[in-house]
Amino acid sequence: MAPYANLPLSPAELSYLYSSLAQDPPIRPDGRSATQFRPLIAESNILPSANGSARICFIDGTEAVVGVKAEVEQTHENHLVAQNDTRDGERTGRPDPSSAGSWFEISIEIPGLRDDDALPVFLAAMLTEALLGDGELTLKLRINNRFHWRLYIDVLLLSQPLSYPLPLLSLTTHLSLLSTRLPALISEGDEDPLFSDDWEASTFLYTQPNSNAAGKLHQSKPPITLLVISAGENIIFDPSRDELAVAEAVVAISIRQNLLGHMEVVALRTIDAPSRLTASGVPRSLDATTGTNASVSNADAQALREEDEGQSVWRPPRGGINRAKLSQMMATATMENGIGQEVMGGLAGVQGS
Amino acid sequence: MPLDTSTYHLAHLRLDGRRWNELRRFHALLSTQASADGSSYLESGNSKVICTVTGPSEQRRSGAPASNAQRDSAQIIVDISLAGFSGVDRRKTARGSKDRKVMEMQHCVEECFGGVVLGHLYPHSVVQVNVAVLSQDGGVLAACINAVGLALVDAGVPMMGYVAAVTVGSTGTGGGSGGEGEDADDPVLDLNGLEENELPFLTLATVGGGGDGGGDAGEGDKVNVLVMETRMQMAKLESMVAVGLEGCKRVRALLDAAVKGHGKKVLEGKVG
Repeated sequence: MAPYANLPLSPAELSYLYSSLAQDPPIRPDGRSATQFRPLIAESNILPSANGSARICFIDGTEAVVGVKAEVEQTHENHLVAQNDTRDGERTGRPDPSSAGSWFEISIEIPGLRDDDALPVFLAAMLTEALLGDGELTLKLRINNRFHWRLYIDVLLLSQPLSYPLPLLSLTTHLSLLSTRLPALISEGDEDPLFSDDWEASTFLYTQPNSNAAGKLHQSKPPITLLVISAGENIIFDPSRDELAVAEAVVAISIRQNLLGHMEVVALRTIDAPSRLTASGVPRSLDATTGTNASVSNADAQALREEDEGQSVWRPPRGGINRAKLSQMMATATMENGIGQEVMGGLAGVQGS
Repeated sequence: MPLDTSTYHLAHLRLDGRRWNELRRFHALLSTQASADGSSYLESGNSKVICTVTGPSEQRRSGAPASNAQRDSAQIIVDISLAGFSGVDRRKTARGSKDRKVMEMQHCVEECFGGVVLGHLYPHSVVQVNVAVLSQDGGVLAACINAVGLALVDAGVPMMGYVAAVTVGSTGTGGGSGGEGEDADDPVLDLNGLEENELPFLTLATVGGGGDGGGDAGEGDKVNVLVMETRMQMAKLESMVAVGLEGCKRVRALLDAAVKGHGKKVLEGKVG
């Protein structure tokens, strides 16, 4: 069982929590609104030995550090899709999205877990998926037809995984990619690449807003992955550990900002909700101590529980999520001035130390 | 790239402009992480280390019955992980198979604190220490020891005193770069990464005994750790240890300042 899943909450507590989250408007234990993000502490560019780095602390005490390192690597021919570029007339290669996944590598280290355990592997796959779905990173990593950068993104979770660590790791990765700088290229064309020794002349992997001359075009940014849960009719963003324990469905939505400044969904995954592992409550009519129906047969008890449908006592949620709810989630995440833009805007304001 | 130590004797300034007995920039923070019982962040030059402590907590039941030592006092378990991005080149170490050097460091830190922590106050318990090395530029073991000490202080684990660690190297003929007479062999304090690759060096940690616990621990200083992995002439050892003891004293003052600074901040937060 995943370490974030075992919660010391009784069925009664779970039921109380669920019914307050399912209310209109939802009442969350920490008093936030449904689309409000928890406060966090973030700093970027903290390590001199890495191309880019960041550290984020969430308010619940979970902390992550990400370091990005880049190496030059020779491109294999089959990684490129031949394409005629009409502007300069020469044949240029474009990374083939299907094989470009090996151009960057995400590894996640969680204390107490081996790096081939299910959780780190699954988290790394989700982060990779978002970056690949974005498609832009691989274009940025291309140096020329023969060489490309290879990025190593090492994610360190420094605390115990108290809640599902995906948003924390995703935001930290986002921040470290924003601060990633690559040495300036001084060779031309398809020569062996030669780089400037001057670190001051290095270029950001993702262009910074102040270096954007056009002004009209927005900065392209690496994607972020947000966690969304549903409870009753409500959609709740950035669930805490307790809220995850009563979620009906948990969805990870990866969004990015395109060049026009709009948010787009690049990847979507449902996550196995830890609420399914909770214990269900015993309806009053079945309780042997209060004793009306002390001797019911097993089948009758089962039927009674089914009839109750989680109305009077807690029952772990079943089933999935319907399409309307899913599209509502995506719409809320990508809304103009919505939570996606709020989070990205907040992280863009983080200054390197 | 070999380190050019020949210019050292002209100005007695090292590559980074320090004199032989100067420490690098030392910056320490306590309570950096809310979810851990104790945590610290330590920068010594460009070496950066984050340490978190969980415990003392109940011993996890394992198959084998606990030995007498385990039953009678708290067990300290140290887990050091060198981040893939911490060095100059990226290196990935699989978690299952830690390399020998890291295992040795873990053992060394465990032994170091095993004698300092008053473990008999916590029988049947475990203190889990996680150290993440974010950036290595010389003196990694010393930085780990200093950071673990601070995190244990933050966790409220009783100890006999501060453990202060420092590296000492020896310039001159040790590396085979051409001697200029006997007086050319100067010990140098707190090596950076470049110096550490070239010069013979040792890591020294002392625990302050009695005194006011601050900078002047005086007579009670005990050498706790002495690790040396390079070869050099026996005659040089004494002067290096002497310089190291002096360095530890200075590091102890810095650790003490960090703890007192943190305490002051906590107090101000509580009062107003």
